[in-house]
Amino acid sequence: MSRVKAYLSAFRMRWKMELQYRGAVIGGVLCQMFFGLILVALYRALYAGKPQARPIEDVVTYVWLQQAFFRMLLSSDGDLMDKIRTGSIAYDLCRPLSLYGYYYARIMAQKLLGSLLRAAPMLLFAALLPRGWGMALPSSFPALLVAALAVGLGLLCVCAIENITMAFTMRTLDSRGMQAMLNLLMMTLSGNILPLTLFPDAWQRVITLLPYAQLLDAPIRLYTGEWALWQAPRVLLTQGAWTIILLALGLMLWRKNQKRLVLQGG
Amino acid sequence: MGTVKLYLKSMAMLLKSQLEYPASFLMQTLAQLIMEGGEFMAVILIVDRFDHLNQWTPGDLFFFFGVMSVTFYLTECFGRGVTGAFPSMVRMGQLDTLLLRPRGVLTQVLCSAIDPRRITCIAVGAAALVMGSRMSGIQWTFLKGIALAESILLGGMMILGLFLIECVFCVYSVKSVEMVNALTYGGRSACQYPIDVYPRPLRLLFTVVAPFALTQHVPAAYILGKPLYHWPAWTAFVCPLAGGMVFAIMYCLFRRALRFYRSTGS
Repeated sequence: MSRVKAYLSAFRMRWKMELQYRGAVIGGVLCQMFFGLILVALYRALYAGKPQARPIEDVVTYVWLQQAFFRMLLSSDGDLMDKIRTGSIAYDLCRPLSLYGYYYARIMAQKLLGSLLRAAPMLLFAALLPRGWGMALPSSFPALLVAALAVGLGLLCVCAIENITMAFTMRTLDSRGMQAMLNLLMMTLSGNILPLTLFPDAWQRVITLLPYAQLLDAPIRLYTGEWALWQAPRVLLTQGAWTIILLALGLMLWRKNQKRLVLQGG
Repeated sequence: MGTVKLYLKSMAMLLKSQLEYPASFLMQTLAQLIMEGGEFMAVILIVDRFDHLNQWTPGDLFFFFGVMSVTFYLTECFGRGVTGAFPSMVRMGQLDTLLLRPRGVLTQVLCSAIDPRRITCIAVGAAALVMGSRMSGIQWTFLKGIALAESILLGGMMILGLFLIECVFCVYSVKSVEMVNALTYGGRSACQYPIDVYPRPLRLLFTVVAPFALTQHVPAAYILGKPLYHWPAWTAFVCPLAGGMVFAIMYCLFRRALRFYRSTGS
């Protein structure tokens, strides 16, 4: 029980730290809104030329939800890399906690608060826009609940992915290239650059099964009703399975890394 | 003339220093390639699903994308001092040393950084340009060559001008103001597609405030033989001059801002 408390306090500390940067959040949100508007305008023009099976409202909602929860995907714990470079990781190793759990709690706080702070104003803005430009309501109230549950699972999943990324980058001292590549893979395959619903239909059958699609794509499809309620158990099971697999893989990698971790002196 | 020589000399030196860490450099260059390749893939997938965008064929869209990428990343490569390094120079007080030397401050800022990793982005843009040109069956003439060169050169100056806005703010507030990114990076992603697909407010923004439409789209549409808004051919050679104007205005503001500059100390 006391160990859970320790992870919770790691979570709380990080949460408080994230709250310090409210000014940066406002600028970021305004930028994100503008980017969202550009994307919506573009997809509207494309739809005007050749309407698709799913209505434009779905794509627009997809764009806004992706923009709102953007920080859930793209934020990483820069401290850890610095700690490894300077050797102060030694302090973390002294804690009577699993290193993996400690960083999992931290990254979770960062991603959760980062996206909540941004999502609230973004979604309000998107809801106020006229129909066809702004966000549509969920297809039904149960769909909203299921989508919310799916976002939660997506969050557990993305934190596990983040820890695996860190495990890989831990092995080299300069990880910028590696990190950029993994981030890009995440942005593309989770539907941030181009909604996954607009990928070729044959690709979608594979892509939606990959872990990256579990983060935001699956919840959004549940929200818009593209995936009906009876499909929800299958979606949630896929998400849950990936979360467990990724957690196990991450834990294994971290254990291995911890054994051969070199402390940089200085 | 001395200024050009100085610039070339510093570029050569900076390039050499970056190549000192070949593995890291290679990795980061590769990451850039995948990033820009991902952007291009999004355009290809969009074309695959929607066939065309108003009167623009797939070839035309690739051509527009190519012009934008080549221009933007050439600017980021050679203008790194303005597009990336300046805010930290102000924060760290390094600008003081530049003020002491008997050369223009902007020249020295431009000489202080280069970003050769962008070379892969430029290559992707060039590939898109050639692909688009082939698919649209462009009949190249001497005049069209000049229009393209003018578009890239003056478009680059305009982008530098837009980044200078951030520098000017930075002199006053020390902290970098990321809101300006809406104009620069937002402009880049919006204006990968021809301006006439967007609604009026966005069109006005990217024609009057940040004239991507004048420097990129008018000449590119002329080269494609489908003049934007049916404007006569000479506009393709006159409109890009707006890019020079943006740069000139921002340069004057930058000079004024420097008079206000107060060092942050050491």
